[in-house]
Amino acid sequence: MASLGDLERVVMDHLWSADGPLAATDLRDALADRGLALTTVHTVLGRLQQKGFVTHDEARPRRFRPTAGRAEHAAGLMHEVLGQAADRQAVLARFVGSVDAEEAALLRRLLDGPAPGVGSPPPA
Amino acid sequence: MLPATAAALAVLAALLAWPVPALLGRARWPRRDPLAALVCWQAIGLAGGLSIIGALLVHGLAPWGHSLPEATWHVLTGEPATGEVRGDHWVTLTLAGALAAELLGVLALSWWRTARTRRRHRALLEVVVRPAAAVPDARLLDTPAPVAFCIPGARPLLVLSAGMVAELDDAQLAAVVAHERAHLREHHHLYLLPFVAWEAALPVLPAAARAHAAVRTLVEMRADDVALAAVPGPDPRRTLARAIVAAGASGGGGVPTGALAAGGGAVTARVRRLLGPAAPLPPAVRAAVLAAAGLLLAVPTALLLLPAVA
Repeated sequence: MASLGDLERVVMDHLWSADGPLAATDLRDALADRGLALTTVHTVLGRLQQKGFVTHDEARPRRFRPTAGRAEHAAGLMHEVLGQAADRQAVLARFVGSVDAEEAALLRRLLDGPAPGVGSPPPA
Repeated sequence: MLPATAAALAVLAALLAWPVPALLGRARWPRRDPLAALVCWQAIGLAGGLSIIGALLVHGLAPWGHSLPEATWHVLTGEPATGEVRGDHWVTLTLAGALAAELLGVLALSWWRTARTRRRHRALLEVVVRPAAAVPDARLLDTPAPVAFCIPGARPLLVLSAGMVAELDDAQLAAVVAHERAHLREHHHLYLLPFVAWEAALPVLPAAARAHAAVRTLVEMRADDVALAAVPGPDPRRTLARAIVAAGASGGGGVPTGALAAGGGAVTARVRRLLGPAAPLPPAVRAAVLAAAGLLLAVPTALLLLPAVA
């Protein structure tokens, strides 16, 4: 049994690659190999809606579509996780730094410089 | 009465609040042995809190006994004070309680808020990321900015951006992943937790901010050191340095500025350190450093538990 998190990802993959909005039954049929009950599909859609990934229209049955593309969500999330307002502790370990243009030039000179251990005196 | 003990603890607290962090922050040896330096910072934080609260407590409880355990026991069992209880005793006791509550409360609050933020980030990220073909335990985030980060916790999440994968060659990517894995394996978020909390709790104390910045840089250096062992190729140091520069000096590439907390200075220090490594600390020096850290914890503990020296 896949976790709800896995199912959320699979459902979003389907919604992102679909041509238009999908009803819950469409998703159940598309995921027939997983043997999901319709209630499970609705649970997953409800969670995705709560997280802001999907929205639905007022047709009967309701049809669901992504609120934005995968790339938009990815960019938004990166800003939320690494952004100014983010809790600095939550994602402590990031391979991100930033340097201004002058420092970047200095670093590139260092990288193209002599072999390690030779020269490149430490900063004062 | 315990005036000498209280005074000794107060002196220790003052030393740990200002000159000791300033010295360690300026010292050059920590980048030669980030792990030993991290141990020192933890000892300074713990001993500082212990000695300031201890000094207040010892002074406040002086009328009730000749040592802290004895006085505490007398208060708990309702025995009357043997000495005169003055206003300053009540003031220091109140301060001790307030400070202890603030430090521990902020620590607990910081822990809880961080855990909640991480859960939320993980829940959102898990919907968007895809498995990274090249790295089984990493997930790919579809965004052009070159970033890599990990969300620590019971189910850690190691995320690479598509931009990072595109920007780096295989060896550099392996270096980035090894760096993040080192953070997760050594639980670096736990080293940082008290310093994040205490910087929030003590905004008036410059040493708190300095300690936080130093610890943040040291965990990055430590992760660099651990990562080097897993970096392929003839020159792991240069490979890792190139990866750092690619991530840090790509002109932003849409990376939010808040992510730059570690700051340019720290990035440059890491790259310099990789390209021109200093010799590791000699074993005897390392042992002395670790012994000093142990002593730093032992002294206030002993002062608190042993009978007064005066």
